[in-house]
Order: sequence, then C-alpha cells, then structure tokens
Amino acid sequence: MSAILLIAVPLLTAFVSILFKKYSHYMLIAVSFLSVFALGYMDLETITIGGFDAPFGIVLILDNYSLIGLYLVNILFFIVAVLNCKEYKKLSSILLVSLAGLNGLLLTGDLFNLFVFLEVAGIAAYLITTTNKKPLATFNYLVQGTLGSSLYLLGLILLYAMFGTLNMSDMAREIGTSGYGAGVTALPFLLMFIGFGVEAKLLPFNSWAKGILASSNSLSGPMIASVYAAAISLVFGRLLTNVFVIEGTLLTIVMGILVFSLVAGEAMAFSSKKVKEILLYSSVSQAALVVLVFMTGFAGWAVYLIIGNATAKLVLFLVTNIAAKQLGDDEVDTFKGLFTNNKVVGLAFTAVTLSVVGLPFFFGFVTKMNILENMFLSGAYVWPALILITSFIEGIYFIRLLLNLWHTDGDSPEVKFDFVLKYVVVVIAVLTMIFGVYTKPVQDSADDLVVYSITEGGNF
Amino acid sequence: MTVELLIILTLVLGLVSYFMGRFNKVYGAVVTIIASMFVFISVGYMANDILDGSTFNYNAVKYLPVFATFTVSYLGIFFAILVTFVFAMVSFFNPFFVEKYKYPAVYNMLYIFSLAGVLGVFFTDNLMVLFFFFEFVVWSGLFIIPLGKSKKAAVSYYAFSTAGSFALLYAIFIMRDVAGTYNLYAGLASVSGTTQGTYVMILLSISAFSKLGAFPLHTWLPAAHGNAPHPFSPVLSGALVKLGAFVAILALVKLAPVGDLQSVFGSYTDATFLYASQYAVAILGAMTIVFGTLMAIRQDDAKKLLAYSSVSNGGYILVALSIGGSVGLAGGLYHIIAHALASAAAFLAIGAVSRVTGTSKMSELGGMIHKMPITYMVYLIAIISMAGIPPMGGFISKWLIFQAVIDNGLILIAVAVFFGSIGSFLYVFRPLAALFLGQELPQHKDKAKIPPFFMLLPMIILSLLIVYTGVFPNYILGFINDVMAELGVDALVIGKYTIQGPNGVLHPTLVASVFGVGVLIAFIIFIVLKKSRKVGLMDTYTAGNFIYTEELMHYSLDFYAPIERLYEKYINITEDFYKKLENKVVDFGRMVKYFFFTNKPEVTVFWIVVIIGFLLWGDL
Repeated sequence: MSAILLIAVPLLTAFVSILFKKYSHYMLIAVSFLSVFALGYMDLETITIGGFDAPFGIVLILDNYSLIGLYLVNILFFIVAVLNCKEYKKLSSILLVSLAGLNGLLLTGDLFNLFVFLEVAGIAAYLITTTNKKPLATFNYLVQGTLGSSLYLLGLILLYAMFGTLNMSDMAREIGTSGYGAGVTALPFLLMFIGFGVEAKLLPFNSWAKGILASSNSLSGPMIASVYAAAISLVFGRLLTNVFVIEGTLLTIVMGILVFSLVAGEAMAFSSKKVKEILLYSSVSQAALVVLVFMTGFAGWAVYLIIGNATAKLVLFLVTNIAAKQLGDDEVDTFKGLFTNNKVVGLAFTAVTLSVVGLPFFFGFVTKMNILENMFLSGAYVWPALILITSFIEGIYFIRLLLNLWHTDGDSPEVKFDFVLKYVVVVIAVLTMIFGVYTKPVQDSADDLVVYSITEGGNF
Repeated sequence: MTVELLIILTLVLGLVSYFMGRFNKVYGAVVTIIASMFVFISVGYMANDILDGSTFNYNAVKYLPVFATFTVSYLGIFFAILVTFVFAMVSFFNPFFVEKYKYPAVYNMLYIFSLAGVLGVFFTDNLMVLFFFFEFVVWSGLFIIPLGKSKKAAVSYYAFSTAGSFALLYAIFIMRDVAGTYNLYAGLASVSGTTQGTYVMILLSISAFSKLGAFPLHTWLPAAHGNAPHPFSPVLSGALVKLGAFVAILALVKLAPVGDLQSVFGSYTDATFLYASQYAVAILGAMTIVFGTLMAIRQDDAKKLLAYSSVSNGGYILVALSIGGSVGLAGGLYHIIAHALASAAAFLAIGAVSRVTGTSKMSELGGMIHKMPITYMVYLIAIISMAGIPPMGGFISKWLIFQAVIDNGLILIAVAVFFGSIGSFLYVFRPLAALFLGQELPQHKDKAKIPPFFMLLPMIILSLLIVYTGVFPNYILGFINDVMAELGVDALVIGKYTIQGPNGVLHPTLVASVFGVGVLIAFIIFIVLKKSRKVGLMDTYTAGNFIYTEELMHYSLDFYAPIERLYEKYINITEDFYKKLENKVVDFGRMVKYFFFTNKPEVTVFWIVVIIGFLLWGDL
C-alpha cells in the first residue's frame, strides 16, 4: 500500500464530508481508524510523486523514523477523534484536513512540501482552537503561526537561492560539498529554526501557547499539546539531525534558546496555580528537552521521549479538560480531591505523571536515564546536570499537583468521566508501566532509530 | 531463595495486599505483616546461611534484565536485617491503623513496595539498579506520608530525597565514566583517591545528608516524620533514613578521604590530622547533633520531638563514620542499630498512645501510664537508649563514638557530641513526664486502655532487643567486625564480655548487672514501703490551692523556655533559606510569564528581531 494514501484519503474524505455533513463524524472515525490500520500494510520505501525523479520531484519517505511517528500521531489522533467526535461534530472535516497535514509533515522529504503541509496542518489547528471560544487567543495563534511559517519559508528561499534544491537529502549533500562555512547558512537556518520554534513552543516564540492551551477543551487541548506537538517535534528532529548545520554563533543562539526554554518552562510551571497552565508550561520545557536531545545526537531516545510526552500529555490534558469543563475552572484549589471519587482515572493520571517525572517502574524513567547516560558518556557533563535540575523542579510541582488531586480537607468535587475515556487512560497508563519494566524492546530499537535512513528516492 | 526472587515476591505480595485491601482493609494490612515477616525471615535465613559458609548462589539472576545483578555483602546483610526487622515489627501496627486512612489498600501496597525497594538498594552491586530502587523507595514513601497529616511534608520529603537521589545519580555517572562499568565496587575503587573521587564523595555525601536528614538538608525530616501516619514514622526513622547511612558508608569508608592535612601542617606540629573531608563531614555532623538537639527541646508534638532526635542521631552516625577507624566505624554501625531499635520503639509507643487519644501533642496528654503501663515501659527503655544511658544499646554506641572522637583530639566535636547527649536527657524525658506521667486527663480517661496484644508484641520485642544490645553487645559487634573486615577496616578488639577502646575497657554486662542490682533494690524498697494513696485531682486538701475543674496543669509546657529564648530567633534560618529559594524560582517563572506570555504578537516579533540581529551582528 502506498504511503501517499495516508495524505490523499483524509484530504479527499474531508472534501466529501462537506457534502454529507450528517455523516462527517463517522467518516472521520473510519478514516482515522483506517489510517492506523493501513500502516501495518505499508512497506518502507521512498515514493516519488508524479514520476519526477528526485531531486526534481517531491518525495515521500517512509522509513523507520517516519513509520513510528505515523503510528504515534495516527493512534493519538484516532483516540482524540473518538472521544470528541460527538461533541465537536462540526469540526470533522477540519480534523480530516489536519490528519492529512500531519501525515504529510511526517512523510515528506521535500523542504517546500514541508512548508505546504505546515500550513495545511496549521490552518486546521487554528480552526480547531476556535472551539476554545477565545477569538483573541486564536487570532494571536494565527498571527504567530503564520509568522513562523513565513520565516521558515524565507529561510528556505535563501537556501534555495544558494543551493538550488529543495529535496532534504540533496540539500544536505549540497551543503556538505559546497564548501560554504557555517556562517553563510546560519541565517536561513536560524529563520527556519525560529519558524519551527514557534510551532514547537520554544521560548520566546510561544506566547500563543498560553492563550490556546490554558483555555483549551477536550478536543483542542490534547490535539495541540499532544498530537501536534508530537508531529512537529518529530519533523523538527528530522531537520535538526539531517539538514541543519548548527555551528558557531548560531549554536550559541540555539543553545541559549533551549536552556532558557528548559529552565524558564519549569520555573513558570512551578509558579502556576492552574492545572492547565502547569501542564502547558511543562510542555514548553519538554519540547526544549526533545530538541536538545536531537541536537546532541540521540535521535532514538528523542523519539521515545516524544512518544512518552505525547501519550502522557494526551492523558493529562484529557482528564484536566474534562474535569475543568464540569467544575467551571481549572484552579488547583478547585481540583483538590478530584480523584477521591474517580480512583481509576486518578491512578492512571498518577502513573502517567510519574512517568513524565521519570520515576522508576515507568516508561519515563527508562528514557530519561538513557538520555542522561548517553549524554554523560559522550562527554557533555553540563547537560545532564541541567536536565537533572530541571526535572527536580518538574518533580516537585507535579508531585504537589498529584497530592492535591488525591487529598482534600473539604468535599471532593464530583466529576464524571465516561467509559471510553477511562478505558483509554488506563490502557495508556498500563502501557507506560509495562514498558517501564520490560525495557528490552525499547533499549534494542533505540539504537536502530538513531540514524534516519535518508534516501533521495525514485530511480535516482 | 535468591535475592532476585525475594524482591520479585515482595513486589507481588505488595500487589496482593492492594487487592486484599480493596476487599477488606484489615486483611490487606495483615498481608503486610505476612510479607514483611516473610522478608525478614528470608533475609535472616540468608544471613545465617552465609555466615555458616554456604555456597548457595544468592546472587543468581534469572528473570530480571541482565544488567540487574546482586551481591550479598556483609554490609548489605547488616543493613537489610536491621531494616527488614524494623519493617516486620512495625507491620504489626498496620491492621490497627489502616482503617483510618483515606486509601488503606494503597498504604498496604506502598508499605511493602518500600520494603522491596530497600532490599534492592542493599543487595545490588549495580549502580543503576541501586539508583532505581533508591528512587523507588522515594516514591513509594512519598504517597504514604500524606495519608497522615500533611501534604506539604510529603512534597518537601520528595524534594530533598530527589535532590539526594539526583546527586547520587550524577556520582554514578562519574563512576561509570571512569570505571567503564556500573559495578558498585569497581566504580568506587576506580575513582577512589582521584579528582573525580572528590566530586563523587561530595555528591554521595549530599545524597547521604539528604536521606539521613543531616544539616543543612534536614528540614524535610521533622515534617515528614512528624506528619506521617503513625506506623510509618517508625519505618521512616528506623529504616528508610538508614539508606542515608548506607550511602554515607559508601562515601566515607569506601572512598579514600580527600585533602591530606598531615602533609601540609605535619611539619609544624606533632598533632595527628584527619583528612579535610573527614573534618568537613564531622563538623557538619556535629552541627546536625546540636541543631537537632536544640530543636527537639522546643517541640510540643512528641512525634516531632522524636523526629528531631532522629536528626540529631543522624549526626552521631555521620561523626562516627567520618572519623572512621575501627572504633569510630564500629560505633557508627552500632549506633545505626541502636537508634533504629530505639526510635522504632519510641515512635511505636507514641503511635499507640495517639491511636487512642487522637493526638501526640504533649500539652494535650498526660497520665497515660495508668492505662498503658507497658507502653510506658517501652517508651522508657527506648529513651534511655536514645539518651545513651546504660544498660541500653545506645550507651554502647555512644561510648564507642566518644572514644573515637576523643582519641582523635576533636575537642569541638566532642563538645557537640556531649552536648547532644546531655541535650537528649533534656528532651526525651519530657514526653515521658508530660505524656505518660502526671495527671490523667478526663478527656482521655475512658478511651485509654492497654493496646491489643499484637501491638504490644513488637514493642516488647524491640524493648528486649534494646536491652540485649546494651547488655550483650559482643555478638552483634562480632558481626560488625565481619562487616568492617569487608570494608577493609581493622576489627574492634572485643573480649567475651568486654569492649576494648583506645582509652579503656568497657564491661557492658558488668555495668548492666550493677544497674540491675540498683533497680532491684529500688524495686524492693518500692514493694516493702507503704503504698502511696491514689487521690482524685480535686483532692487538693494539703496544697492550699482550690481547684474547680479537672483541667490540665501542665508543668512540661514551655518547660525549657529560658533555654529556648537563647536561640529562638535563629531556628528558622534554614527553613527560610529554602523557602526563599523556592520563592526565587516562583519569581523567575512569573517574570518570564510577564515578559513573554502576553497576548501581543508584536512581543514575539520583537524577540525574533533581537535574535536575528544578534546573529547578524557578527561573531562573538
């Protein structure tokens, strides 16, 4: 089965679904389920589109890296879609567009094509966030998102003018053989980095995140914080490891941005008193950590970090947003004792949080330890120290949150979680525990994922 | 049974107790007794078997991943027996308390989980596995503490323990980097005496200090011990804190000391010097003793008082371990036992009182001896040991520590150590007087009664052991000599009934006999002489003072007010420091939010322009 169907089918269905509004949410479920299902039948290959050989035509690359990304994004997307399809029926067509955009982002091997999918996914994201009913925040997101992708485009234009190619691997090779120093490519790469930084929520380009996520609902929260964040991080990782050349002043700038995001993200979460804010600021920090791990060259573990974060954020945002909707606000004080009446959801939430914090017997521990170990052994002594300090802060606010959610002096709030949600969060929690103990498959496959097997595609 | 199987079985029993607890709270708690007794007996059997020279391979690993390796060392057995014993004794209390908890099943499970974690820490020789279980103990304890009185205590427990674990982790990475393996012994040996060894020692000391609750990382301990559920306080104080002592031994004994002062000052004076690192830890240990004692004197809550006394005793352990040598190390190891037994017994006694009265505040209690005489005796024996009075175990260890301190000419530290001992007279007898003796309060009169047999049993066993360790210390000291031989330290010279110190010989059994004769004479006098007449509280005919109600007239409240006034201004310095540190992080977070998270896209544009400008400005 060709990977191109992962983009074409959702897009086509999106247009068809406009004609059959009544059934659009069924179409959404069917298509998103089918795309998960279809992934099992895909061969690892590079697809040239329209018969134009690379580097002239557009290529889609389905390798181990994009396959694992596609699995992650499609499964999470399916979960979010199932949980919300009734409540947000109207958005079904848009969600289908966003699925096409996200799959395209993960698959494409062409830098301009990447921009197109960034815009497609972006527009869908803006529309998804309109369900927050905060027009100003959405507008802000729109402006910043567009700004980011324009900067990406600007950087790309510069690169195109310099090297005359848009194919990722061709570009990487051209840069390598051109003999230009890193100083020449620094500006375009910085522009592209900023462009992705906006989407990946790196400080200081992420002021949209607060407006969007702090007032998110059970659709937009998990969608933006989990599904979109995973896809963007994965694509970012691909660019960082394969295309970008980051040296000299650019390296200083990028490292400065990352350290600042890492530390400030945790500090902001630490100082927050609203559950959603805690989650969103902590995801700022996690995004920076992911980028950092990619930059230090441990792509395999970065992928597992993304998987861990995305699944965790899905659970955390789902539970929080459903509870916040029923309770009226998301102050920690209002949430106190939330889990006394919802023990199953509470246990799952706790397990996932402990995994994010990186405590033993959970998946997060495995990734965190391996990342730290690899970084330390590669001679970077400062990063592990920095990561340990930030995860120390992270641990404190998450544990504080957890204890507040389990214990209250007054009455516990009444919140109802439906069966499907319970099922989903429990399955995710159990999986984080299983892979926290049974680490062999993770450990073995991480090394295979390190190198992204870039091929130019076609009959090249 | 291999160590691996034991740990796995313990974890499984933890899950069993959870599901049992869902079914019936008390049955779940009974599972904790079975599990911890089972673990204790297995460890005891293992120890016995190894001491007999068995060749059975306890270290075999079959089910866990290959990197999880275990080595049953004497040091590991020493700690494991002690800690599992405390767990086993305390577990008898669980069924009587579990019904009051919000999440009883979870309590049972986590109680057993922390036991499994402790086993893993003591028996592994792989640093990563050690860290794994170290953190596991942290998070399983973390969710037990808030079942008591305070959530905040749990957060600060997590914060300090995690700081300690992360320091440990970083030290592990350094050792891994140098040694090329995660083996505990190879790692320690490879860095010992090198520059990296200095870093490792500092990091491990931070870890040990934070776990042991030593100054300046002690602020979590009183809060956690004081607010934890009653049966968990003795576990924290008698067992989990000892993880810190274990790490301290790794840092202070297994690593070569740093900073040779002899070579620097040796030409000016004949005095013999310890190493700089030994002085540093000993001084911090001495400060811990002093601060713990001063704070314990102030407390009104008996559990908090005992918690501060644990801080202070942690200081003794650090002083002893840092001085090292056969006397110092033996003193430290013996003090670990003595304090574990005494603090477990004392916390259990207070727990038994709180169970019926619902409070552990001295000002709200009194006269419990009338209804709980055995509990009173248990507490009395425990505090005699804590204060270091013969014929209890605490005397032996303190005697050894004093010998080591004096023999090394550490005058200031000796002052602190003696101060701590005298100070402990001041504070440990206050709960005795306030809580057990004195008036019987009307509000507790009906509730107080002799605790059930299964609560008395562990308390009595602990008391007997405290006396045993004080009267016949030589069997245990023999085992400690084995541990020290493994650590590469000369053995302590012990006779059949004597202990040889640098400044003299101690005859613990003789001392105990004299003491016993004294008690006997006093008892005979008590029996022979006329009994005192019991009178009601209102019967104050001869006092010249008419009482209208049976209210409490506590002479133990603010008992040491004049002493307290000397230092009450300074007691919050460390707490304030951490509080301010926390506020700084909060301030920083708020500041970043204020500057960057506005609803104005132009701010983002501004920063983008600044960053691009920075790049285009040219090379730095």
